[in-house]
Amino acid sequence: MNSQRLIGVIATREFMARIRSRTFGITTALTVIAIGAYILLQAYVFNKSTTSLDVGFTSEAQAISAPVRAEAASFGVTITVHPSASAAAGKADVRSGTLDALVSGSGAGTTVTVQSTVDPTMQTVLNDVAREQVLTEYLTAHHLPPSDVEGQLAFSVSVDALTPINAARVQQIVIGLLVAGTLYVSLVIYGQIVAAGVVEEKSNRIVEILLTAVRPWQLMIGKITGIGLVAVVQIAIIAGVALVLASATKLVSIPTLGVDVVISGIVWFVLGYLMYALLFAGAGSMVSRQEDVASVSMPVILIPVAAWILALTVAAPDPGSTATTILSLIPLLSPVIMPVRIAAGVVPFWQVLASVILVIATIYILAAIAGRIYRNSVLRVGGRVKLSDALGLAPSGKPVV
Amino acid sequence: MLELSHLTKRYGALEALHDLSFTVRPGEIFGFVGANGAGKTTTMRVVLGVLEADAGSVIWDGSPITFAVRRRIGYIPEDRGLYPKMSVIAQLEYFAQLHGVRRKAAHAASIALLERLGLADRAKGQLQSLSHGNQQRVQLAAALVFSPELLVLDEPFAGLDPVAVDAMTEVLHAEADAGKPVVLSSHQLDIVERICDRVGIINHGQMVACGTVDELTERGPVRFWVDVPGAGAGWYDGIPGVTLAQQEGERWLLQLDDEAGEQAVLRAALAAGPVHEFRRDRPTLTQLFRNVMSGTPVDE
Repeated sequence: MNSQRLIGVIATREFMARIRSRTFGITTALTVIAIGAYILLQAYVFNKSTTSLDVGFTSEAQAISAPVRAEAASFGVTITVHPSASAAAGKADVRSGTLDALVSGSGAGTTVTVQSTVDPTMQTVLNDVAREQVLTEYLTAHHLPPSDVEGQLAFSVSVDALTPINAARVQQIVIGLLVAGTLYVSLVIYGQIVAAGVVEEKSNRIVEILLTAVRPWQLMIGKITGIGLVAVVQIAIIAGVALVLASATKLVSIPTLGVDVVISGIVWFVLGYLMYALLFAGAGSMVSRQEDVASVSMPVILIPVAAWILALTVAAPDPGSTATTILSLIPLLSPVIMPVRIAAGVVPFWQVLASVILVIATIYILAAIAGRIYRNSVLRVGGRVKLSDALGLAPSGKPVV
Repeated sequence: MLELSHLTKRYGALEALHDLSFTVRPGEIFGFVGANGAGKTTTMRVVLGVLEADAGSVIWDGSPITFAVRRRIGYIPEDRGLYPKMSVIAQLEYFAQLHGVRRKAAHAASIALLERLGLADRAKGQLQSLSHGNQQRVQLAAALVFSPELLVLDEPFAGLDPVAVDAMTEVLHAEADAGKPVVLSSHQLDIVERICDRVGIINHGQMVACGTVDELTERGPVRFWVDVPGAGAGWYDGIPGVTLAQQEGERWLLQLDDEAGEQAVLRAALAAGPVHEFRRDRPTLTQLFRNVMSGTPVDE
């Protein structure tokens, strides 16, 4: 029977067992709830920028209601104008909460009545409009056409920044770090699941019968594939919910995220997962009990942690620097650092291609090494297998399968 | 036919197997007995290819065994193991598929086997919800579900009650009757004596006795139980080559130097009184095994 079919059978069992497990349901639900809550909090509490106010204008102040509404709108504040029959009636409405504010008087005598504090945008707008009203009256009284004066004043001071901050660039880096951070967290989490997963067959002691039917590498690749598919499903659910919520609350739109960034994120997850899953599988196969998994996977975890720290400290401040370029081409660091550069738009295509080729080559090398460690360790139940034994450097007790 | 030829396996200074050879013919149940650490599990692992022998070979139908052939072996390892949270039926389908059976056929074979083993009503249950005995049956089912050509069973009766032993025995006989060689190891020598066609006794990695149960028990000293009520002590004195091995009231166990003396003993007994019993004493497999372990030679 061909290997692909066997690996398919193994991967299918792994996928079905995990996707049906309570752990999968609980972790997915909790993550979706946490991310959903964060997005909603961002949208409705921290970024409450779309203020709308009900403002009453007495007949005296009626003249400025239109300019106030127009100027407030330019600051993102929506004002609904309510004509108030009298100052007393308007004040009563403010007191009862029907109105957010009441504007009375005109010119220098313009007054705004509020419950306790006035919206700062509203205050600025009122100041501007009232001053302009006074100025227009003054100019007209002195036979100066207000439009001429306005023409003279229609300029703004030009800014000559010596080190300008590119707002678009900042956003790109934030998005790059978002992708890199997601990749970093996913690689660490699913890598550890792989490490714990390869111990399952050893701790169940099922491995001996499995290995009379399949080769160790087929078992390892099947497990990695199955867990990888679970990861893809879980990330798709979580990311899907996050994107739908984020675009529904207008926090971020998918076009600003960039299709290329999303695609490169997916590609880097697949490549990074394969690379790290092999490392974690090799490490995990050296122990026989779940409680020993953490100690053998720790050295492997340190690599993505280092990559993330470098992404924050070297790549994010200067995505185009030589240091970042070199780091992004180191295979084990590429999945976390390259997305930052891609999002910043500073990577020549040949470098992306080169890093992908290097990562694929690394996957092949790691597959050979991890396969060897797995083969030499997987039947040794008991204590931790020494790395030299696992690599087959010591000849004693060598299994043949 | 399965042939193990001059197998030797060392673990560092320990020689686990030393020049071990035996043959299991089609349709034969071969029992493999020996103390803990004698090398039974090592031998089985070598047959399955889980371990590599330092010297010697495993031959299947005339050629050295290959991975493809090994995939046709139904195996119960010493370290039992299945997926505890997987359902019984899914587990069997999985093993069938790993051994190359297509999905639909795997399902049909699993259902049929569970019915045969009386586990059909537990098919959908998780393995861990089953009793120990039933988990053992599932383990056997996992070894049988892909219609293997050879069975290698390490301690298949361990932890089974007598009813489960009978059920297991029935299945093994059926498999052997279908022409498959069956190799099993066990510490329950009474069961081995009852069901195995041939037995091999292994000690410190060496085969010390191998043959049918009758062949093995015929070895050893020639002894007769003689029940002669009323015969006085020493009635056998004077017959050449006869010594007393044991006495129980008026029953004597006499050891003869050779079988030729038996008629002389019988005549002396008839002269001494009415003979109620005159029977060749054959050691049980258990006694034979004890002799082997205590260092008494099995062969004369």
